[in-house]
Amino acid sequence: MSIANLPKRVSPKIMIRAFLAFVFMLCLNTLLTAQTKVQIKGKVVDDAGKPVAGASVMVKGTTTGVTCNELGLFDLSVTTDKKLVVSATGYTAKEVAVTADSKTITIKLSQITTELEQVVVVGYGTQRKKDVTGSVDLVTSKTLKEVPTANFQNALQGHAAGVDIQTVGTAPGAGAVIRIRGVRSVLGSNAPLIVVDGIPYVGNLNDINTDDIASLSILKDASATAIYGSRGSNGVILITTKRGSTGAAKVNYNGYYGVGTVFNKYPVYNAQEYTAMHNIAGGASGVFQANELKNMAAGKSTDWQDLMYQNSLKTNHYLTVTGGSDGSTYSFGGGYYKETAVLPGQDYQRGSLRLSIDSKIGKWLKVGVNTMNSISIQKGAQFVSGSTMFTTLATSPLVSPYDSTGAIVFNAMGQGNPNDAQGNYNPLLLKNNNGMWVDRKRIIHTFNSLFAEANIWKGIKYRFNLGLDFSQEEDDQFQAADHYNGTTNPATNSNPSFFRPLNGNHAVVNNAETWSYTAENLLTYDKNFGKHHIDVTGLYSIQQQQYHNTYVSKDSMYSDQTQYFDMSQATPTPYAVVSGSEASSTVISYMARVNYSFDNRYMLTGTFRNDGSSVLAAGHNWHQFGAVSAGWNIMNEKFIKNSSKLGFISTLKLRAGYGQTASQSISAYSSLGSVTNNNGLSGQSGDMSKSTVVKYNYGTSIVVGYYLAGLPNPDLDWEYTNTLNVGLDYGFLNNRITGAIDFYSAVTNKLLFSQNLPTSSGVSNPYAVNVGQMKNWGMEFSISSVNIQAKKSDGFSWTTDLNLFFNKNKLTKQIGSTTQNIGNQLFTGYSMSSIYDYKNLGIWQTSEAAEAAKYGATPGQIKIQDYDNSGTITTADRHIIGNGDPVLQGGMTNTFSYKGFDLGITMYARFGGLLVSQIHQWQSSYLTQLDAGSSLGRNQIKVDYWTPTNPTNWFPTIANGTNGWSSATTAWQTLGYYNASFLQIKAINVGYTFKDKLMKQIGIRSIRVYGSVDNVGFLFSPYMRQTGIAPIATNQGPSGVSSPDNLRTGQNSITTISASTPLTRNYIMGVNVNF
Amino acid sequence: MKIKQIKIIICLLLTAAIVPIAMDSCNKKLTEQPKTVNTVAMFQTAQGIQLAVNSVYSGLRYIYGPEGDNLTGDVGTDMWWGNAGGAAAAYQLSSYTFDYSDGSILTLWNRTFNNINMCNGIITWAPSITGIDTANILGQAHFLRALNYLNLVSQFGAIPVDLGSGDWAFNQSSFGGFNRLPTKDILTKDWNGIISDLIYASQNLPDKRPTAAFSLSKSAAYALLAKAYIFKGYSANAASTDWQNAYTAATQLINNQSKYGVSLLTNYADVVAEGNNYNSELLFAVERIPGDAGDNEESVYNGLAATSGGKDVNASNDYNMSYDATPAPVSSSSGKPCATRTPLYGRPMRVICPTKFLFDTLFADKTNDSRFDGTFNTVYLATVQTTSSYQSGSSYSGSFTYNVGDTAIVVAHSVAEYNTLVAAQLKSAKPYRVISPSEMPGINGTYPGSGGAAQPVLIPSMKKYWDSKRNNANEGGGRPYPVLKLSEVYLLAAEACLKGAGGGTSEAATLLNVLRTRAAYRTGLSSTDLATRVAALQITSSQVTLDFIIDEHGRELAGEANRWVDLAMRGQLLNRVKMDNPPAASNIKDYMTLRPIPKSELDNLTVPNASQYQNTGW
Repeated sequence: MSIANLPKRVSPKIMIRAFLAFVFMLCLNTLLTAQTKVQIKGKVVDDAGKPVAGASVMVKGTTTGVTCNELGLFDLSVTTDKKLVVSATGYTAKEVAVTADSKTITIKLSQITTELEQVVVVGYGTQRKKDVTGSVDLVTSKTLKEVPTANFQNALQGHAAGVDIQTVGTAPGAGAVIRIRGVRSVLGSNAPLIVVDGIPYVGNLNDINTDDIASLSILKDASATAIYGSRGSNGVILITTKRGSTGAAKVNYNGYYGVGTVFNKYPVYNAQEYTAMHNIAGGASGVFQANELKNMAAGKSTDWQDLMYQNSLKTNHYLTVTGGSDGSTYSFGGGYYKETAVLPGQDYQRGSLRLSIDSKIGKWLKVGVNTMNSISIQKGAQFVSGSTMFTTLATSPLVSPYDSTGAIVFNAMGQGNPNDAQGNYNPLLLKNNNGMWVDRKRIIHTFNSLFAEANIWKGIKYRFNLGLDFSQEEDDQFQAADHYNGTTNPATNSNPSFFRPLNGNHAVVNNAETWSYTAENLLTYDKNFGKHHIDVTGLYSIQQQQYHNTYVSKDSMYSDQTQYFDMSQATPTPYAVVSGSEASSTVISYMARVNYSFDNRYMLTGTFRNDGSSVLAAGHNWHQFGAVSAGWNIMNEKFIKNSSKLGFISTLKLRAGYGQTASQSISAYSSLGSVTNNNGLSGQSGDMSKSTVVKYNYGTSIVVGYYLAGLPNPDLDWEYTNTLNVGLDYGFLNNRITGAIDFYSAVTNKLLFSQNLPTSSGVSNPYAVNVGQMKNWGMEFSISSVNIQAKKSDGFSWTTDLNLFFNKNKLTKQIGSTTQNIGNQLFTGYSMSSIYDYKNLGIWQTSEAAEAAKYGATPGQIKIQDYDNSGTITTADRHIIGNGDPVLQGGMTNTFSYKGFDLGITMYARFGGLLVSQIHQWQSSYLTQLDAGSSLGRNQIKVDYWTPTNPTNWFPTIANGTNGWSSATTAWQTLGYYNASFLQIKAINVGYTFKDKLMKQIGIRSIRVYGSVDNVGFLFSPYMRQTGIAPIATNQGPSGVSSPDNLRTGQNSITTISASTPLTRNYIMGVNVNF
Repeated sequence: MKIKQIKIIICLLLTAAIVPIAMDSCNKKLTEQPKTVNTVAMFQTAQGIQLAVNSVYSGLRYIYGPEGDNLTGDVGTDMWWGNAGGAAAAYQLSSYTFDYSDGSILTLWNRTFNNINMCNGIITWAPSITGIDTANILGQAHFLRALNYLNLVSQFGAIPVDLGSGDWAFNQSSFGGFNRLPTKDILTKDWNGIISDLIYASQNLPDKRPTAAFSLSKSAAYALLAKAYIFKGYSANAASTDWQNAYTAATQLINNQSKYGVSLLTNYADVVAEGNNYNSELLFAVERIPGDAGDNEESVYNGLAATSGGKDVNASNDYNMSYDATPAPVSSSSGKPCATRTPLYGRPMRVICPTKFLFDTLFADKTNDSRFDGTFNTVYLATVQTTSSYQSGSSYSGSFTYNVGDTAIVVAHSVAEYNTLVAAQLKSAKPYRVISPSEMPGINGTYPGSGGAAQPVLIPSMKKYWDSKRNNANEGGGRPYPVLKLSEVYLLAAEACLKGAGGGTSEAATLLNVLRTRAAYRTGLSSTDLATRVAALQITSSQVTLDFIIDEHGRELAGEANRWVDLAMRGQLLNRVKMDNPPAASNIKDYMTLRPIPKSELDNLTVPNASQYQNTGW
């Protein structure tokens, strides 16, 4: 460890920090005196006097330096004209002049306390937060760990201003929708670009282990993202993984184990309420089944949710070893994560393995490699989770789950109809799989990056990055044949197949692979000229990716035992259904960036990029992007520095930038049109047959047909966004209060639309064209404050991080003179998430009978607003009744610490906007139809329905069945709109870090035990207060049986709530040990 | 300096090695080379042209069998009404309270033009492709184009013949206009095109279709040609020769049955009987394979057919009563012996229900005329073992257990039959439920409105497309769906005679009596019994009127989704609906003999003043 004069490998981050510190010192223009050689035996300590292991001590202006050992000690021979630059991760770098008295010296490093001192990763490089002129947010691994979860999206929620993360789904392994500063595209993807260690990441974000992430940078405005040109439009999330640092091997273990319980049950009618509802709904025909009458008489009631729900489990183990010496560092880690659900048949597990090695070859070349590998298995996500809740919620509370012998009553709904989906089989059958079904998705993902960096000339560096990303996914499905013969006698019944009532078995295998490579050549130049600093980056890169899948499904295997493993062991007919698809695309880029700063006061950044993308029409592949931004560190001006009145200001920086970025995230081959054999009938989730191919038969001879489906568009061009960003970074009272305010405005031009041609043109598919314009503007506000600063190092402290933001989205122009496109839910002048429908004014009350009659309605029916005052309710009364955009959202984290204890509380809030509750739209869910006719033996979600003696304004009367709810046939849709606002306590963490002395004796450097509770509760939610259901989205876009006609489908659709795996509250205990 | 120079050289070499490799192939890499996206060049080969032809046949699966077709074809006529209990829109369509955004009318509109365009393409490309049976391919393309045009014209009126690239030309441009004006001129082009396409088809298609497949043949071409002439004869484009031409085309077939491989079956019920899918009376049918949802392009969700959107025969479900919800032996009984749906009885959609006119007037004689029983199902056997209480004031009380296969439900043909059966079976040891006409919505004279008929909806179920081979009771059917039958050709010939062609009303009566004689036949009848029935059904030339022929159409072709067009094209829709369809009577307006141009079509036009293209009145 103490070999002097040998170049030591330190992490790039530290080097850059050291370098920046060096630049800083240069500006001070210190002069040096005559030189003598000094042998220094020094020690590096932190504020509390504890040694800083692994700190780097470099002789300024040279590549000579050493790394401190575990006790913070170092040995170095230096001449007295030199200075030492001391740095370490998490500490502010410090320069120390070498004097004759420096033989034994203790250097104190201050821990980084303010965000502004931090170094942030920006596109193709790093910058001090202080010098950044664009809008960039930094999130550290510590923040990500506040909510123990499978993926970083969930952990990030509420921690970054302007970043809207909506969890979608409550099942294990469910993902999230990330939108940075709103949406910009109608047709293309609105998801941000994810870059891991410099390489664009293609694939499932769930494959990234949160434990591997050192930090996240979120680039939000054009000046920050322009460097990603064609893909920067939707913002960029840069993920930096953990790398090794020089020193003895350090071992870290982080593990937790947790139990989850249902956050709240869905409100359904109990036996008494169910009876009351059916008595009204029943009409002439039998209202109750015989077994229901029996249980009613006996006063028995079944709570199916209680029978079905179980505790879930969440566990994570992650071990890392880091270390390094002689110019090489390494970090490797392995982890295992598993999560099960509160419902049977669903779980998610992931094993991951990572290795990174960085090595210095000679004095001028650095190379590094990082490989992240994971295998994940998600069960129950394809058809199980979608089928479980309906029966659990809809089975009558008057039906017995078990017979007198204790055996499961198979056909719980008795005389109900088993043909209507799985609907009528006892959901308890799901608790014992017994080989009856397989629902499994397995992904193997390997993400590799390699770099070589060479110092060519004073300040000139060349870097080569190579990335290779491969993932292979196999989706398996199997559903056994139904062996239920319709009698209640278990002796004569073998297994009923819950998923295949009255059907034979069915198997599906889908194999998909995605691979991509990225190669980047970077040339950088970094130089100081007096008070001037300039750094230049030039890039050439190419990325190619390819996707291919093959899908097979087959009915009627001879034996259920075969499952999906060999589909040839089946009857010849029906034939197997097969399909496949392929897509490849390429992006080629040239980029240049210049950062210039003067006197630490004025900063200027200019970026230029030229991108070529294969997904656009030939001749339109290339587009040029540029951005300029400027920063002014007002703090460094004399009028503040020298002012006694403004002494409370410790940071003040104004930033402004304008630039252009684009999105090319449309599907490959969009411009080519299609002659296809795809009949467009696929796409229903859970669709097991996938009759996707145009077929016909002449007698028994089955043939395939091809037709012209889509037109080519030789003019398909880039969709680009011009963004203006103005921001202010501030810090007061010695940076005890810090934060930023940003304003932005973004206009997207040449908006890509999927234009429908009139059917009479003979071409059935819509085709992609560039017309239209969209605008987003918003503000972001963040503040971090040390409310109570510890007087001593282990005293009581309290800090608060708060961010609030809003985004206003508006479609400003559409195709031609179109101002409203009802079919696609696009309205000029309104948000993309607008909801166009009737306005529900409540329920016609008895006292309003006369007025109701004017509209052909009777008391108890839905009162629809006569928007056009025509005296009748027609489709012309539909109008924009709101949108899904929150008016304001944000997050707040409070952290308390005292002695070894720490406590964190994370809150998350969205205010305003509408949510679409498909549970309450009866044709979507069949759970709120209040109709005993076709729902005999079916329970319903509890709603307050109108009766002459219960004049509610929520749900209409039962009397005439659902078709009698209004003369407007789609009035049921209006029952699904609610205020989306909520304020949630997302997580509470408590931790205790044991003191060094105790631990050292058993070889442990530090140990922290912690506990956390997530989904603690909702302090405010009008939806939950009214309906009893958590306001957390379960799906993106329509997810119902028959969906409302006013929800856009696809990737840019609004999030919705349907009956799904209930929200789970997890109680977690964990330990983090450093050896 | 030396070391640094080496460094520079190495780095430059490194860069030089990588950049050019990428640069060189740069623009090549930006050129997409898809494996799965084809261009129209694909069709211009012997194999490709057949793929195009197949897609047009397949496109007919959307038009023959699915719910949108059944609704636009049958409801809102004298024979059928749409029950909101099954689908709310059915009632609106049936009662003429729908507007131009109605979903059912979209089925035909949206699923036809792309097939017409493909036919234009096939007709353009086929002559220059070698190695194919050009005459046959062209014959098929002309027939299919004419069939698609006739379907559209008979519902919507004038239909563009220029889809964006000229008259009858294949279109591959992003045409946002709508060449429909002036409608009079366009209609003339439509009719001329339909007739000339069918003449071409009748000259170029093979004489016979294969015995066990429905590829097109001359028989189908003559039948459709006769129908086109008849329709044209009633239109504004009528020519004095239309009736004679219709007669010529129809009799070509009737008089040369062996040449064209066609004949009437002895038993009416056999024409649409399961297992008899390729009988000689069917000239052309749109095919599917029983029980093969995948090959039938049916949308199956977790093993259950989706109710709409696929290409399956929903006609096998749409006309069905709610047998599964029907208690037996009396309405107050606890048990429902048909609660388990079966593939044969299908999904009880109860959307399309017979009118009182159909039940009481059209099929007034359900005994001599076998066609009521050949069309409707009146007996249901128990599908699940059920114990049912049975209290209704009889000697037999307590409970009764149905075993699978026991007679469970009988739909009475008349009030008299109901009274007889009820009286008998109430005392029986094996009681079954008898449904009285007074319990049947519509038939009993009451037509439930937008709320739909109360469950269970008790009606005679139209069974022509029932398919016991489907995998699941809820699936659509997979049997061929008739497009043209020889029996209809007799009706068309008779109509031409009535209008003065051939032997006039006397020949018309002869032709009609062929069908009516056949209608008397039932299996198991003694020859004397049969003779009596035949005699009872015979008509004389004085009885031949247009009304009679239209009624005969109804009896012969009930539930084949052609009633609306048959009435509308003959100018008989308004009077018949006003007379015999009470919920529609007060709503139907004169302009409703044409469907509105759908909203989505007009919305998607990029030319100004879209409303000028709408049919008058809508």
